[in-house]
Order: sequence, then structure tokens, then C-alpha cells
Amino acid sequence: MIERLLIHRNRYHDSARLMRLSQELRRLPGVIMAEVLMGTSMNCELLGASGFDPEVLRDVSPLDLVVALRGESAEHLESASAELERLLESADSTGEGGGDASLARDLEQAMESRPEINLVTVAVPGAYAAYVARQALDAGRHVFLFSDNVAVEDEVALKRQAADAGLLMMGPDCGTAILAGVGLGFANRVRRGAVGLVGASGTGIQELSCLVHRAGQGISQAIGTGSRDLSSSVGGIMTEQGLRLLAEDDGTQVILLVAKKPAQEVASRLHSVLVQLGKPVVVRYLGQAGASRRDGVTYSGDLDQAAQAALACLSGEPPKDFLEPQPPSPPEPGSGLLVGLFGGGSLASEAALILAAAGHETSAPAEPLREDRPIPGNCHLVVDLGDDAYTVGKPHPMVDQTTRCGILRAAGADPRVGLLLLDLVLGDGAHSDPAPELASAIEAARKERAGRPLAVIASVTGTDLDPQGAGRQKAALEAARVRVAPSAATAARLAAAWLDAAQGRSAP
Amino acid sequence: MTLERSKELLRGPISIAHLGLDNLADGAQAAGTPLVRVDFLPPAGGDQARIRALTALRAPEHAAAIEEANRTALDRFLASRPHLVGVGLAREDIPGMQEDLFLHAGPPITWERMSGPLRGAVLGGLLLEGRAKSPEEAESLAASGKVRFDPCHHHQAVGPMAGLVTPSMPVWILEDMGGASPGRRTYCTLNEGLGKVLRYGAYSREVLERLRFMAEVLGPVLSETLAARGPIDLKLLMAQALQMGDEGHNRNRAGTSLLFRELAPAMVRLRRDPTEVGKVLEFIHANDHFFLNLSMPMAKCMLLAAEGVPRSSFVTIMSRNGTDFGVQISGMPGRWFTGPAQEVKGLYFPGFTAADANPDIGDSAIMETAGIGGFAMAAAPAIVQFVGGSAEDALATTRNMARITLGRNSTWSIPSLGFVGAPTGIDLRKVVERNLLPAINTGIAHREPGVGQVGAGLTSPPWECFHGAFDAFVRHCLDA
Repeated sequence: MIERLLIHRNRYHDSARLMRLSQELRRLPGVIMAEVLMGTSMNCELLGASGFDPEVLRDVSPLDLVVALRGESAEHLESASAELERLLESADSTGEGGGDASLARDLEQAMESRPEINLVTVAVPGAYAAYVARQALDAGRHVFLFSDNVAVEDEVALKRQAADAGLLMMGPDCGTAILAGVGLGFANRVRRGAVGLVGASGTGIQELSCLVHRAGQGISQAIGTGSRDLSSSVGGIMTEQGLRLLAEDDGTQVILLVAKKPAQEVASRLHSVLVQLGKPVVVRYLGQAGASRRDGVTYSGDLDQAAQAALACLSGEPPKDFLEPQPPSPPEPGSGLLVGLFGGGSLASEAALILAAAGHETSAPAEPLREDRPIPGNCHLVVDLGDDAYTVGKPHPMVDQTTRCGILRAAGADPRVGLLLLDLVLGDGAHSDPAPELASAIEAARKERAGRPLAVIASVTGTDLDPQGAGRQKAALEAARVRVAPSAATAARLAAAWLDAAQGRSAP
Repeated sequence: MTLERSKELLRGPISIAHLGLDNLADGAQAAGTPLVRVDFLPPAGGDQARIRALTALRAPEHAAAIEEANRTALDRFLASRPHLVGVGLAREDIPGMQEDLFLHAGPPITWERMSGPLRGAVLGGLLLEGRAKSPEEAESLAASGKVRFDPCHHHQAVGPMAGLVTPSMPVWILEDMGGASPGRRTYCTLNEGLGKVLRYGAYSREVLERLRFMAEVLGPVLSETLAARGPIDLKLLMAQALQMGDEGHNRNRAGTSLLFRELAPAMVRLRRDPTEVGKVLEFIHANDHFFLNLSMPMAKCMLLAAEGVPRSSFVTIMSRNGTDFGVQISGMPGRWFTGPAQEVKGLYFPGFTAADANPDIGDSAIMETAGIGGFAMAAAPAIVQFVGGSAEDALATTRNMARITLGRNSTWSIPSLGFVGAPTGIDLRKVVERNLLPAINTGIAHREPGVGQVGAGLTSPPWECFHGAFDAFVRHCLDA
């Protein structure tokens, strides 16, 4: 038999609680005797009389918790004192949370009380977002920062702090990520697989992950970096960290990078990182025309090519071209202007690039379009309805389509317009059932055209795993005589072919 | 650059805390990811300059120094062990006490700016000390500059409400028997009871007669009793009182009863006239707040131990004189940061309304500064009427205060919260960052001198004193 006295200074508990603690300890295997009491002089005398060392009890005060243990072995007493510590800790924390365990009043408290939290996702007003992100990084947590309007100096400081600590700082202005199979922000539900994504463009990541999924492959990780990561001032801190992570990630066989075309010096530096990753790398710089291959890195000309190149790396076969399907209902010659109304900014700029490459220059309207005004000017328009001009004080068109449907109706009713080009981005965070709303806006526009046909081409960025169901959304659009292309880039190419036909040119 | 932590995240499982737009976390939650939604409120109430200052303080070199300083201050506070050792006289025992000096609650103030109840107490003090024959005479004497005024806090003392201490008053003597500064003493007058009393600005004949009884009988009997029975560990009594339904500021019934039990046996054994002993015991028994004048200097003693740790943001004083509310910070000892004393939202005795109330007054917010009173509201279900009426409101008040404190006092545990320790050590940075003011329980004095207590309730400090202290603290740290 072995005995031990433990003193916990300044830990007052009432006698009922002490008796319960004693009882809990006595139940443990190998514990012969356990007394948990406050160090009053009477209690100390009692313990002394029952054989415990009075020397140890000499400077004990009535506020000190005294634990007297007798057990079969040192191991048994070890585990009894560990159990006591646990019971005291839980006494110090139980009842503290209050109410719903999935709600917390305060980030730092939540992180303290739940050490398992490893990621903080932030979608608060930009003026406060950096402070919240800092609280998370200071506590050693990774951050997904959806908020925009964060000062670039703050972004640099946050990303440096994160990189120094080996943490991910995704954002600010990070729309999408898929980590360990969990979608963050606006993310599509895709199969897990061998393609790893790093991206500064939310809808770029979404479109690529859906293309990979629909081709039967999947995504290992999709690491968002925030739209400004490859600017000269930020210098690609998180892009580089994300690329290195994917290079070391066992689940990733091919790496796909999507971002707005970076500043030249950033692109050169990044190129030297890309060639050393040791895995096949495919890059799509949005807004960059033309494809190339340098030092083993594939620079693709559009999102479709990028997806195909990555899939080809997995299959070992040469990249497939997407079939160029016939444009919808062959237009009458000279039948009009194109208006592209996009929810995804990257998809809008990619469409403009593809149309321009096919000889159809588009512009963004000088003044924001409005549902109560005719379409300005006399040229093709491609509009990013997620731009600040349309979203100040209003939800994003991917979440709420009221503005887009109003403008769609006004544009579609305009007899000078012959073709509408749309995107439809599905997934978590997005509108729960967007296609029917678009369909009824299209029908309403057609009613005002007095029989003049209106062609509509759209793409659906989504999968059948998404809550909205890509197939269901496609069917709803097709019922409204919308030509649904298999990708955003294909939709833009179809639109270009339609314009060619309308102008009496043969397709290039 | 080490990637280990990022790799660990990518291996999963992921566990999320989410702030802001709700629907952005829906996907992760639908996928079964553990997710905590955190209430978001702008830091520092959205004040961009203070957000920048808070950011600067988070820089590792500053944050580490402040954390260490706060740990030191909190450890010293928790290690302090105030004991009641005796009863003395203000003129003989309080350091720096002078015959022409009156001590008062709160930060420094002149006669001209004193509120009604404090003026009333001063008049009563002058009558009690025999320096004036009538209230009118007392008033012209008070205004003449022949009486000097100084805060109790400048003399290791505290006083409830007006907190007036005059040279002839008997005072409790407490001594620290533990921690970093053993032997340090603090002082407080004896509690007069309810109704018309000097601390609420009343100075009628019955008030003065009671004060004379306290000086001639109560003080000496208590002094002899303590000499006979030895020191009383006040932290221990407080711990028991919290488990018996006191929160230590507006409810002191359990603490008073416990003190009564400690004193009575030794007192009846004194070779004293039993009628006199009986009067003393009746006096204690009749006054539920008798213990407050012991728990206040106990809190002061512990907080003095936390004072003067450079770069500590630990709040060591919250106090009001009926006109101004003042705070002091451990890292900047001796500097008052003040703002206007606030209205008390409360319940009134029959015949009185909010129109009769004086703004917040007294040193008793030392209780909240020490982590009890409003901070321990959850311990006192009997008085939940003050915080909204339900037991849940009381629990919420205590939980909320844990958001602005540095730690827990495991000596003072709260049964209704699973015996968690009282939230302790107000952190100036957290008050500003979380835009959350300390909750203070308090009595309400009539605004006119001479009337007394009219109710009790709940109040908060003005933002001015915390913002002023914070701005100074930022300079204190960044310039160091």
C-alpha cells in the first residue's frame, strides 16, 4: 500500500462537492482510501491522526484543497490524481457555456474553450475583418477571410504573420476553398480526387472544380488565397504557400493554379516556384490570351483548356478539346447585340476575352445598367453584376438575383439585343434555386419583343451533388429555351459562333 | 517556412468558428463539420483609432509584456490573504489622517462640485466632530477651505456611498497575511445600518446619536472581541457567503451572519455588561449590510497587491464620489481616469422614484473590481430582480463579465455555474475591445443631503474613464 497527500492552493469548494469528489475517487480501481477536504486545522488533525505526514500539512490553509489518497500502487494514485484534476477542471468549466453549445459570444473565448477549433471563417464588414483575423492567427488558428475592403497593408501583415507561423491566411476577399473535403464560402460539392487547386479567383476555382468533377475526377484540396494575393504589394505569399502545400500533399497528383494575370515580376518569381514543385502544374491566368508551355509548366488559354490539361496529366492521354456544338437557333442576319450578365466576375472577364479572340469586342457599360433604363450605346456588353456598382448595400447576384433578373428583363426586351449570355453559379452559399427565376425573367422579356426571337446561352457552374442540383437547374433553363453549354468558356465560344452567324461570317 | 500546421489542417478533421454572414457557413455545417457560430460585434465599438491601438498592442513584443505583467498582477491579487485583525480609530490608524482632513469616496473632488449626499455626509461629519453647532455653520465651514478633502483610496481605505471618514470614527483594520506584501493594512468605517445614515448624506440627530454609539460602544466591544478571538480570514468568509446566496455587494446577509457567528462566542465571554454586548449583537443582527464594510477593505487589500505592475492593464480601482466616476490601472498607479457618474437603474423604496436619485456614488464598486458584486450575480438568485428578474439573467451577467476579465478566482466559486471561480481581474484592453462595461450592483442615494437611501440597482461606469485610461495605457506601453 502506498499513500499520498496533494495540496491545491486557493481552491475553495463546499463540503457537498468535496464529498462527491471523494466518492468519485474511491470508485477508481486500486484506490483504497480517498478524502478530498479543505485544509482546516480540524481536517489536518484528522489526517495526521490517521497516519498522514503532519509536516506536509503544516502550512496548509482553510482555502487550500487537500487530497489524501491511499492505493495499491503509485500508478493507481497517479491516475487518481489525474482524474481529480479532470474533475476539478470540469467543475471550473461546466455550466459556463450556457444555452446552445454551437453558439458563442466571443471568438477568443470560443477558441480557448474549444482547442479543437483549427479554422476561423470570417465574413464580417471589412473595417473589422483584419482585427478578427489577427485574433485567430494570434491564437494559432488558420483563417478563411471572405470579407473584402481590407487595407492592403493589413493583408500583407496578416499573410506574413500566417506564413511565419505556418498557418493558412486565405483572403481577404477569398470566395472559395475546399479543405479536407469541406467546402468553405461559395463552394461546389465535388468528389475528392487527385487535382489540387490554388486560386485567387473564387468563381475560377468553382468552375475548374466542377469541370474536374464532371469529368469523373475529383479535388484533393482547393486553397483560396484572396483576389489580391498576386498583386505586387502582396507578392503571392499565400499562393506560394498553397503551391508548396499541394506539392507535399500525398493526395495531390496535379496542381492547378488560377488567378488574375499577375504583375510581371510576381509572375516571373512564381514561375521559378512552379518549375520546382515536382508535380505537373497547369496555370490559368485570367485575362491572359493564348496558351504556352515553359519549363514544363502549362499556361492554358482558358478555363476549359486548363481543366483538360490537368485531366490529361492524370490520364496520361493528350488533352481533349471540348466539342464545339452548333449555336442555338441560327440567328437571322443582323439580328443584334450581345448582352452578357454575369454573377461570377472571373467568368465575365473570361467570356470577354474569348469573344474578343473571336473578333467580337465587348465593353463594360460606362454607367451601371438599370432595370428601368434601356441598354446604353450600340455595342456588345459583358457585365459583372458582382461588381461594387451593383452590390453596395445589396446582396451578391449569386445569392439574390433580384437585380440581375430586372436588368435581364430590360436587356432582353430591348429589340436591338439578340443574344443574352449568362452564368449560373451553384453550390453552398449560393441561391437555393436560381434557374426558375432566370427562366421567368427570360419569358417576361420575350413577351415584350413582339415575336422577335431572343437567343439565350448559359453555363451552369455546379454538380449534381450541389443542393440546387446542376441537372435540375439545367433542365429548368432548357425548358425556357436556354441553350446550356457544358462550361463557361464553351458558352462564350457558342456566343461568338452565334455572332459570327448573325454577321454572315463563317465560324473560324 | 514550416508547413506542418497547414498540412495538419488539410489532413482534417476540420473544426470551425464562424463569424459574420450566416449562410456562408451552411455548406460546411451541412457536410457535418463541427461548427461554432460566434456573435460578431465590431471591436472597440467600431472606433478605428482604437482598433489600430488594439492592433498595436497585439504585436508580439507588447502582447507578451502585457500578458506577463497581467499574470503578475493577477497572481499577487489571488495570493493576497486579508484578515480582520482589529478595530481602531481613524485618527490613530489610517495613514496620513489629520484632524482637519475628511476622507470621502471616489476620485478627488472639491466642495463646490460635491453632490448632495456627499455634502450631507460632510455636514454630518462636522457636526459629529463638534466643529459646527448647526448644519448652516457646518456648510459655511465646509465651503471656507478650513476642511481638507481627500479620497479614501489615497489612504489605503474605502468607504461605501459617501464614504466619509472623520478623525474620531472607529475603523476596521485588515492585514494581508499572504502573498507579495504581507503586513499591508487597509481600513474602513463600520456600517451604520439602513435608512437614514451618514453614508447616504443624512445628518439628523438620530444619525449622529448612532454614530456616537458606534464610537463609544460598538467599536470598543468589537476591538476587544477581536483581540480575544484572533484574526478572521475574510476571503474564506466571502467564499462561504457566495455559496450561501450573497453576491457580496447588494446582498450581504450570509456574510453578515457568518461574521456574527465568528464574533458572538468571543464577545459574550468578554467581561462586559451583558446589556451592552446584547446591543452590539442586535446592531449587527439588524443590519444585513454589516459585512459590506469588511468585504470592501478586503477587496481593497487584494487590489492594492495588484497595483503598480508596469504594463499591466489590470483595473485596480473603480470608484465614484457622486459626481465623477474614476478608475485606476495597475500599470499606471496613482493616475485617476474619470468621467461623469451615471444614473443607477434600479428599484425604489416606497415613496421614491428615479427623480429622487443621485448619480452613482461610493467606493463599493471595489467589489466588482475584485470580481464579486455584479460579477458574481449568478451566486445570488434572491436578488435577480436587479438584473432583469430571472435566474438566467443573473447567470448571463456573470458569464458576460468573464469576457472582460483576466482569470478566475478559484477561491470564490459560484454554485449555479458549476462551481466555476468568479471572473476576476478586469482587463482594460478587453473592456475596450469587447465594448463591454463592468456591471456594478449598488445602492441609490437621495440627491438631496439629509434624506438617505432610496433604492438599489445596477449601473455601469461612463465610457470616458475607460477610453481615457486605454488611450493613456497605449502610450504607456508603446513608449516603454
